[in-house]
Amino acid sequence: MAFDALLEPIQIGKQTIRNRVVSTAHAEVHATDGGMTTARYVKYYEEKAKGGCGLSICGGSSVVSIDSPQGWWSSVNLSTDRIIPHFQNLADAVHKHGGKIMIQITHMGRRSRWDGYDWPVLLSPSGIREPVHRSTCKTIEEEEIWRIIKDFAQAARRAKEGGLDGVELSAVHQHLIDQFWSPRVNKRTDQWGGSFENRMRFGMEVLKAVRAEVGDDFVVGLRICGDEFHPDGLTHEDMKQIAAYYDATGQVDFFGVIGSGSDTHNSLANVIPNMAYPPEPFLHLAAGIKEVVSVPVIHAQNIKDPNQAERILAGGYVDMVGMTRAHIADPHLIAKVKMGQVDRIKQCVGANYCIDRQYQGLDVLCIQNAATSREYMGLPHIIEKSQGPKRKVVVVGGGPGGMEAARVAAERGHDATLFEAEEQLGGQITIAAKAPQRDQIAGITRWYQLELTRLGVDQRLGTRADEATIRDLRPDILILATGGQPFLSQVAEWGAAEGLIVSSWDILGGKVAPGKNVLVYDTICEFSGVSVTDYLADKGAKVEIVTDDVKPGAAVGGTNFPTFYRSLYDKEVIMTSDLALHKVYREGDALVAVLENEYTGAQEERVVDQVVVENGVRPDEALYYALKDQSRNHGQVDLEALYAIQPQPCLASLDEEQGGGFLLFRLGDCTAPRNIHAAIYDALRLCKDF
Amino acid sequence: MLDILLPILIFSALALAAIGALRRVRLWRQGRPSPVPIAKSLAAMPRRYLVDLHHVVARDKYISNTHVATAGGFVAAAVLMILVHGLGLGASEGLGGVLGWLLLVASACMFVGSLFVAKRRRPPPPRLSKGPWMRLPKSLMAFSLGVFVITLPSVGVLPADLGSWVLALVLAGIVAWGLAEMVFGMTWGGPMKHAFAGALHLAFHRRPERFSTQEGGPGRSTGLKALDLDDERAPLGVGAPRDFTWNQLLGFDACVQCGRCEAACPAFAAGQPLNPKKLIQDMVVGMVGGSDAHYAGSPYPAPEGGYKPVGEHGGDPHGPIVAHPFANGGTALVDAETLWSCTTCRACVEECPMMIEHVDAIVDMRRFLTLERGNTPNKGGEVLDNLIATDNPGGFDPGSRFNWAADQNLPLMADRQEADVLLWLGDGAFDMRNQRTLRALVKVLRAAEVDFAVLGNEERDSGDVARRLGDEATFQSLARRNIATLSRYRFTHIVTCDPHSFHVLKNEYGALGGHYSVFHHSTYIAELFDSGRLNLKAWKGGSVTYHDPCYLGRYNGEYEAPRRVLQALGIEVKEMARSGYRSRCCGGGGGAPITDVPGKRRIPDMRMEDVNETGAELVAVGCPQCTAMLEGVVNASAEVRDIAELVAEALNEDSAQDRASRRAQQSEEALVS
Repeated sequence: MAFDALLEPIQIGKQTIRNRVVSTAHAEVHATDGGMTTARYVKYYEEKAKGGCGLSICGGSSVVSIDSPQGWWSSVNLSTDRIIPHFQNLADAVHKHGGKIMIQITHMGRRSRWDGYDWPVLLSPSGIREPVHRSTCKTIEEEEIWRIIKDFAQAARRAKEGGLDGVELSAVHQHLIDQFWSPRVNKRTDQWGGSFENRMRFGMEVLKAVRAEVGDDFVVGLRICGDEFHPDGLTHEDMKQIAAYYDATGQVDFFGVIGSGSDTHNSLANVIPNMAYPPEPFLHLAAGIKEVVSVPVIHAQNIKDPNQAERILAGGYVDMVGMTRAHIADPHLIAKVKMGQVDRIKQCVGANYCIDRQYQGLDVLCIQNAATSREYMGLPHIIEKSQGPKRKVVVVGGGPGGMEAARVAAERGHDATLFEAEEQLGGQITIAAKAPQRDQIAGITRWYQLELTRLGVDQRLGTRADEATIRDLRPDILILATGGQPFLSQVAEWGAAEGLIVSSWDILGGKVAPGKNVLVYDTICEFSGVSVTDYLADKGAKVEIVTDDVKPGAAVGGTNFPTFYRSLYDKEVIMTSDLALHKVYREGDALVAVLENEYTGAQEERVVDQVVVENGVRPDEALYYALKDQSRNHGQVDLEALYAIQPQPCLASLDEEQGGGFLLFRLGDCTAPRNIHAAIYDALRLCKDF
Repeated sequence: MLDILLPILIFSALALAAIGALRRVRLWRQGRPSPVPIAKSLAAMPRRYLVDLHHVVARDKYISNTHVATAGGFVAAAVLMILVHGLGLGASEGLGGVLGWLLLVASACMFVGSLFVAKRRRPPPPRLSKGPWMRLPKSLMAFSLGVFVITLPSVGVLPADLGSWVLALVLAGIVAWGLAEMVFGMTWGGPMKHAFAGALHLAFHRRPERFSTQEGGPGRSTGLKALDLDDERAPLGVGAPRDFTWNQLLGFDACVQCGRCEAACPAFAAGQPLNPKKLIQDMVVGMVGGSDAHYAGSPYPAPEGGYKPVGEHGGDPHGPIVAHPFANGGTALVDAETLWSCTTCRACVEECPMMIEHVDAIVDMRRFLTLERGNTPNKGGEVLDNLIATDNPGGFDPGSRFNWAADQNLPLMADRQEADVLLWLGDGAFDMRNQRTLRALVKVLRAAEVDFAVLGNEERDSGDVARRLGDEATFQSLARRNIATLSRYRFTHIVTCDPHSFHVLKNEYGALGGHYSVFHHSTYIAELFDSGRLNLKAWKGGSVTYHDPCYLGRYNGEYEAPRRVLQALGIEVKEMARSGYRSRCCGGGGGAPITDVPGKRRIPDMRMEDVNETGAELVAVGCPQCTAMLEGVVNASAEVRDIAELVAEALNEDSAQDRASRRAQQSEEALVS
């Protein structure tokens, strides 16, 4: 495939963008030091530019005013001139590689939190509370409106003086501009509300002020929603009218279009579609906007694959594609397209680990790429071949940690062997992918399969490595990533020993057939519990999911739990919280589960034919303890070196003393159950210096 | 008795040879006129033979020494024999005795040579033709031995009335056999024809610039000759043997069937239906009229395996070379697929000791197929249509030629009007792989602070592919428009990373009025390095070999600069067995990947095997086409990188200030020394 449309340059305002691919504005949660674009921020965007991305619009929800707090999400603070030199560093780093960089600027109005930092009073056109952030706010006054309009203009000036290529005004996700637009939130009767023109006024004054400040040779774009999907919100036809109205000014250089509003939990999930969504679910909305405007239209939402992007662009639906999570997973996406290495692209699987962390105020990280956002620490996206001696590296366990360890070791030029007891790679990813609408998570494994094969890793599938096999291979370095087993034995009364309960692995892995009337007890509240519940319901079982936590799936992030809830409610699954599983016993053909209320101690019973317990993983430590004392380093990891991304000091002993045995390291759940990212991160930072 | 017989034999042989020569000349003159200065050409012949031809022959020491002894011995013996035995000068005292002794030495020398000729054919290597060529060593021995023995009485070693008349008759018979092969056969079409036709071919060669002169070094002439499209009498290319110029026909007749071309031809090795030697012999068959049944060398490989049978093809001077698709049961002198198998790599021309121009002939015949018949096979028609419609072979939007450089801020000639260097991007600008090379080259030029600019979307395809596919009209149209564009700007040099553009701009635009100083990027980078404008880090990678692109090496003689650049990087090149002027084509030239004639193997696969034999982990190249072909090899063990990429990676990215101070220091040093 030639990717002619994808790689065609485009003119936006006075700027030429080298291709049609945009990393759209998202909160990176990297702007530390009071909202400054410091080293981590710069390196994160430099990597995308180095990798060929045409345009990066950085700083999702970067604030223009001090009463729009930036601290919650470490977003960029454009309310002070202090930002200008930081922008210069950022612009230089991106321009050096031929990329362009703009920034999203906004006032978030009511869409924030007031209970921290400067303890601001949040503002909104009519003082109506926002559900997602549970935020109350005041009704904005005329003086404040004009102050904020000026703040926008000053913020744009700072972006321009900092050498950035443009600004994107956020009128999406129910920020202040579109809070004024939406009759759902704007109930004013003065010149700022009511009629169409009045609701448009604030945004229009912002646009005019910004344009007057920066002139014609600086890009000013507008990011809008294509349809709020609320009965009382803005419809697609409303949004076309709004887009055409602003376009007619001739002062907007581009439109970014996103489907769906986002001021409820359910609509928010649409904005960053997870793996349950089809590809580009809201492209039609952006295409509709493109019909009525005269400038380029950018659209992002579940565009992850360059072939898909090429198809969208060649079809003329939009002018530029946002591939934002695609770049978080692989900032070298475009470079790989150009190198003819499309099948080496680490494709985003839509796990939404990145955005779910962001909504918790945590830094954006990729579930499968531990180097993303850690460029400033020296973690590499491209592993350089070692100049040192070739080692024999044996990895036991083909889950995410083991696969990453084998990959990195092989990229370093070592002779890597990977053992996996199952017939296929993936570990718990394989189990997770069995649930309805979760199959795409297997994309993580698929990439590793391609890479490990390309790198010539000796993959011994269906082979359980024991002490003797490992010794025969005479490894220099041995990595155990053997994972663990469902931890059903923690409470004897559950009856695991008597076979009264089964694990989510048993059900998802197909080892145990789904019952007809099933109780799922999930004390972990991560993806596993809701996944097995959805799976059982999908197979026709009547299911109740019970947790002792505050709600089922409590630890599933904000853009993921809604798609599970939609599915579970749709299948009439009963969701019960605050009950712990006390005991299971058999009564005739049936099983009785005794549940105990967390707060009252009151017990109640359920009569079912199957009890599934999700209690996480118990590490598989047997092989480790069998080999620990034979190893040079007694299995110990030097934490200071590991955390500082430095080589393990014990590696030097391989050169000093030949034949003195192997180095032993443990990764992933066989140490303690954590998650995919943790396993991959440990593998990368440990193995990159082998 | 011999003194009566010998003059008769000698002079009748000479007379028959003269008749044969006239007949041969008539055959050649069936071709189209091509004016040559007769006397000057003949005068140039000995030097061309002794210097240029010998230079080629001497690459094979065995045959070169053998040929010196045999041919030298023969020429001397023949002249002396006419004097001694024809004119009877050997009988006289004084001078005659010396002549006789000289004749003995010459014929002995020739005999020794002919022993080695015989040894060479025991058994003959596959590239040599058999048939009449197998009898040649015996004929050589018969002539030299016969002349030696009959001369012994002349110098008094043996009595004048040696033996009986029976013996005299036997000797006369042997001498007659020798004379028949060596003199009469020379013009009537035996193996010795090569000497007669070859000598005249050297004299009247269509490319006199190819030969060295006393004043200068070895000449070079590799640009295709332009067709005069306005001359309504001239055929568009060669459809029948008579459409060749007379001196082209003469050149075919000079073929000695040594098969060096066959051994060098990548298409033959790949089992594609081409053997340059057979092709030249087929042209001779066409010139004389008849069939190829008497051809005694390796025939054309058959795509399904083995060889195409001989005896099924034939023609005459006025008949078609390639059968019209709807006539003659589909065969004539050669099949079209033979002509389309050629990669125009010039390996055959480079190897040919008779300096025959195979590639000229093939392109002449392709011109006819494309221009007169519209029969360019496979993707050929599409590519030519693309070139006509979009000025590039891929049919890309001409406005997208410069898309790759959207982030490079390259200065445009249209804005600048002048620059020291005009960087010619070539059609690789549309290719993502080559764009990496272009980026690297831009980085290198910038590091050396070269004042350069590009044409951007004003550039068009150089016309290389159109011309090699026989579409001279499209070539000339592209060339003329490129020349017009170039004429608008001022620049000192053109630099390009594409040897095909390089060759066409340098050697083929001249005939259409475009004269430029053109550099291949490897040459230019080598000069930048030599003048201290590049500061390079030492090579840290593995072992490296270098693949000579045909259009840089054989076409333009540039073998050293790329190697100098690699050396500057600290790379010690692990040379392939086939390298330098003997480099094997990647398979990508002459439109061969477009016409895509099937064979048993792919040429780039064979080339990658050459690479593998060196054990190199990386093969350095200097051509977008070679890069594409070699990278297309499945499971290749070596990485393919353009020289520009290797240099760009090795750049010490110091500041402009460092460079300025370094240059100041260098100029100071220059002043001191």
